[in-house]
Amino acid sequence: MDTNTISTMTSKTILSYNGPFYIELISVFGTNIRNFNDAYSNARKKLFKIFIELSQNVSNYSENFHMINNVQRIGVGELSLKEFDTAYSFTTKNQVKKTDAEILTERCELVNASDQMKLRELKREQRLNSPGEKFGARIGLIQAVMLSKNKLEFKVDKINEDFSYFSLTVKIDKF
Amino acid sequence: MENITLTSSPTTPYFPEVNFNVDKGICEISGESYMEETYKFYLPLINWIKDYAKHIKRPLDLNIKLIYLNTSSTKCVLDILEILKDFEDEGGKVKVNWYYDKADPDMVEEVEDFEAESGMKIELIEFE
Repeated sequence: MDTNTISTMTSKTILSYNGPFYIELISVFGTNIRNFNDAYSNARKKLFKIFIELSQNVSNYSENFHMINNVQRIGVGELSLKEFDTAYSFTTKNQVKKTDAEILTERCELVNASDQMKLRELKREQRLNSPGEKFGARIGLIQAVMLSKNKLEFKVDKINEDFSYFSLTVKIDKF
Repeated sequence: MENITLTSSPTTPYFPEVNFNVDKGICEISGESYMEETYKFYLPLINWIKDYAKHIKRPLDLNIKLIYLNTSSTKCVLDILEILKDFEDEGGKVKVNWYYDKADPDMVEEVEDFEAESGMKIELIEFE
């Protein structure tokens, strides 16, 4: 079996959520992830960092969103955190434009095809060339793989001619 | 120029604590940084350092004690380091200290990347 594919193993769900990704919620969930037990502290540190990055991607980029006071855009999506014997797995799912799904797929494939050294290079390059300001550094996916040292599992499900759901799973080993 | 003081709160842990002091020539950023609209938060800090470099021109220490910063915040920190590097290249005296938890080896790698990208020397110091 592919060691990166954990979807068929037995697991327990630690956290599951579907709705707007407010920073206040992300922060409370993240704090709980870091502190829910004393075991696997290194894995939980990585899990926290990956959780924040991928959750903020949903918050910033989901095509299904809430507007707060007609100014602030809060992305709507799903997240699921599961615990396995030897790893955690964190999944996000959100709506994207069909064209963006293709870009995201290419980006995930590039990240998955890169070793740690290449990822570090890509991260530096993209951070230096990112537009900054509103769009951040655009290196969250690279960061997730660099931290977990596991490949991204991703899936695109067509909703209609214009939109798809984009799901992303990262495995974080406990040891 | 005025000092910038922002205190942290347990209800908004995604904002760091900030102390930028003109008289002492010390800038400190500590805690965690993963707020929304990151650039909006960091812009006054970036402008403060630009003004200091342009008008005050005295030695400046930057002490970073962030236990976590998201990738959007890393972009803003890199902007700050690039401004400091320009200040140093123009004759300014700058010292950057990065305090880190030795149980978090990923942070060391992050700081090494900041050094490489900005050209600014960063002193790594373990948390007491």
